[in-house]
Amino acid sequence: MSVPAIELVDATKRYGTSMALDRVSLRIERGEFFCLLGPSGCGKTTTLNLIGGFIPLTSGELRIEGQRVNDMPPHKRNVNTVFQNYALFPHMTVEENVAFGLRMARLGSGETATRVDEYLALVGLEAFHDRLPAQLSGGQQQRVALARALARRPAVLLLDEPLGALDLKLRKQMQVELARIHRQVGTTFVFVTHDQEEALSMATRIAVMSAGRVVQSGTPRDIYYHPVDRFVADFIGESNFLEGVAVRDGARSYVRLGGGSTVDAPADAPPGSVTLMVRPESVSVGPAPATNGEASLSGRVIHVAFIGNHTRVTVRTPAGDIVALRPHSEGSASSALDELLDQEVCAWWSPRDSTIVAHGSTEKIDERLV
Amino acid sequence: MVDPIPASHQPRARSNLTRGWPFLPAGVVLLVLFLLPMTVMVAFSLWRTNSDLDVVPDWTLDNYIYFFSEGTYVRTFLKTLIMAAAVTAAGIATALPFAYFLVRYVGQRWQRIVLLAVIVPFWTSYLLRAYAWQAILGEKGALNQFLMGIGLIDEPSRLFVYNDLSVWLVLLYVYFPFAALALYTALEKFDFNQLNAAQDLGARPDQAFRRILLPQIRPGVITACIFVFVPILGEFLTPTLVGGAQGALIANLIINFFRGLQYTTMAAFSFVIAGFVIVVLVIFRRYLRVEDVVARG
Ligand SMILES: Nc1ncnc2c1ncn2[C@@H]1O[C@H](COP(=O)(O)OP(=O)(O)OP(=O)(O)O)[C@@H](O)[C@H]1O
Ligand SMILES: [Mg+2]
Repeated sequence: MSVPAIELVDATKRYGTSMALDRVSLRIERGEFFCLLGPSGCGKTTTLNLIGGFIPLTSGELRIEGQRVNDMPPHKRNVNTVFQNYALFPHMTVEENVAFGLRMARLGSGETATRVDEYLALVGLEAFHDRLPAQLSGGQQQRVALARALARRPAVLLLDEPLGALDLKLRKQMQVELARIHRQVGTTFVFVTHDQEEALSMATRIAVMSAGRVVQSGTPRDIYYHPVDRFVADFIGESNFLEGVAVRDGARSYVRLGGGSTVDAPADAPPGSVTLMVRPESVSVGPAPATNGEASLSGRVIHVAFIGNHTRVTVRTPAGDIVALRPHSEGSASSALDELLDQEVCAWWSPRDSTIVAHGSTEKIDERLV
Repeated sequence: MVDPIPASHQPRARSNLTRGWPFLPAGVVLLVLFLLPMTVMVAFSLWRTNSDLDVVPDWTLDNYIYFFSEGTYVRTFLKTLIMAAAVTAAGIATALPFAYFLVRYVGQRWQRIVLLAVIVPFWTSYLLRAYAWQAILGEKGALNQFLMGIGLIDEPSRLFVYNDLSVWLVLLYVYFPFAALALYTALEKFDFNQLNAAQDLGARPDQAFRRILLPQIRPGVITACIFVFVPILGEFLTPTLVGGAQGALIANLIINFFRGLQYTTMAAFSFVIAGFVIVVLVIFRRYLRVEDVVARG
């Protein structure tokens, strides 16, 4: 295996008695677009600050490109940061801002000028060399910060909620931009966000954090469809949770739910008390399952909501409420869903689309957050 | 992709005729309190005092020539400049770390309390404070008592007061708050995250300080310099109380002419200082450039 860009081994950061980071281990490969995702105060910025060198580790080890850098000051580390508030130098022009890091690296003036042009072009700000940061919009300042950090061609680019201050439309636009820039420069990106959609759409891998720990790391698909516990499932999108007891009966395994109903379980379900999770968009609603072998519950439709690109149907079953998210098919189909209100129906899904999540960990995490 | 920039230039609405009026009160004040006395002073400095100590309006440069021909006066003036520079340097050197620490590491509530503590001495009279220093540094003063108490010296020392060093020290004490407040105001607007950004971009801490922090607080540093340097050129009380024979500054000499009713000589000497102050202000002004004002906004 090649040397990873970043490696954290049991990295711990303590402030007095509170644990900002608690034995975090991460391995970020070269060229990845790695997202740190989690609620406010979970330690995302702390992780970035450790890698950037702005705060020391309490214990554990940090390696950049295989080299242990625990005690290396920030100006010697081969990483650069796009700060949450950009931290542009207000007394310098755009050009001088981008050139600053190159001057510090003692690049010749010719090479510096070439690089400045190259990276301002990369972020689409060729025409802004002589502006001061105060004369730029938020989105443009963001681009300058990006160019300034990338111009040093670091091994790793750290981005702390770089899109947090932008309005929704600009945010979407910058997500596309960032993905393009990542492809173009090929540098490892470590990206902090508390927006799950942003993480899912941009990352090659995600680490979900909670209360100073990494709860789960994996590809967006992994994390979305196979969250390890209720916290992760809840944090990333909407989920249906069904409490029950898993039973293995020969090759078939099923879950006996509250109210006496049973549904087929995913093949790897361990016997015993479990929480079954299924995403709303995996659930279908109708008079009866279209095919055999589906996990199915019957109940009454108590709520139908039109939410633009989808319709959200809530079915009350003896095992609990199930939410289904259905796309509109052509024409009258959407009104067909409207007519389901108060009808007795079936809600079904493929057992493969459901997953067993760790039991009751939401409560534990809530406690830790307090 | 190119986001709109808010228009910063408003069209000029006012006509030339009405534009001057708002400045009228300020103009009157300036005329009465500043220009008029100055004119009288200029005239006096170019006139003569006769043997009956009357001011005679005979135009002459003698008063100025007198100043520059007497070694003592020129030396005392140079010494005053050196003293002012030394206190200014020490004032910045102490007030900058003080204000930096206060802004960066002290919470809002405590910042206000500390600032108040810095200002509180202004509520007592200058004279009283200078006397207090005499009591601290004098032969029977607190400093001697303390040093003898801990056994560092056997008998009271006279080295602590009535010399240039004691003048320097007390002036530093008196003018520190001005420097501290000016620097505090400048630092308060500074985003310290920029220092992290600078180091992130490869700057050593001292480079980050010089190239990022210093240029942005330069207006505050210059203000602090002016607030300390200029008034010291006119200081006579502190040298009188803790300076002794050795510690006299140029203002002490001017006061002597005043007491001796030599108004024309006094006016000329004052103008040498005033001329110097104007030169200093013009030099400092050049460093207060437009970018500094923009950077602070
Ligand atoms: N200097 C500090 N002193 C004490 N505690 C701190 C300090 N910095 C951070 N913390 C604590 O460490 C924890 C993690 O903070 P961190 O800034 O990493 O959170 P975050 O995940 O970036 O949150 P956000 O999304 O709000 O930016 C928080 O509980 C915070 O209160
Ligand atoms: Mg943060």
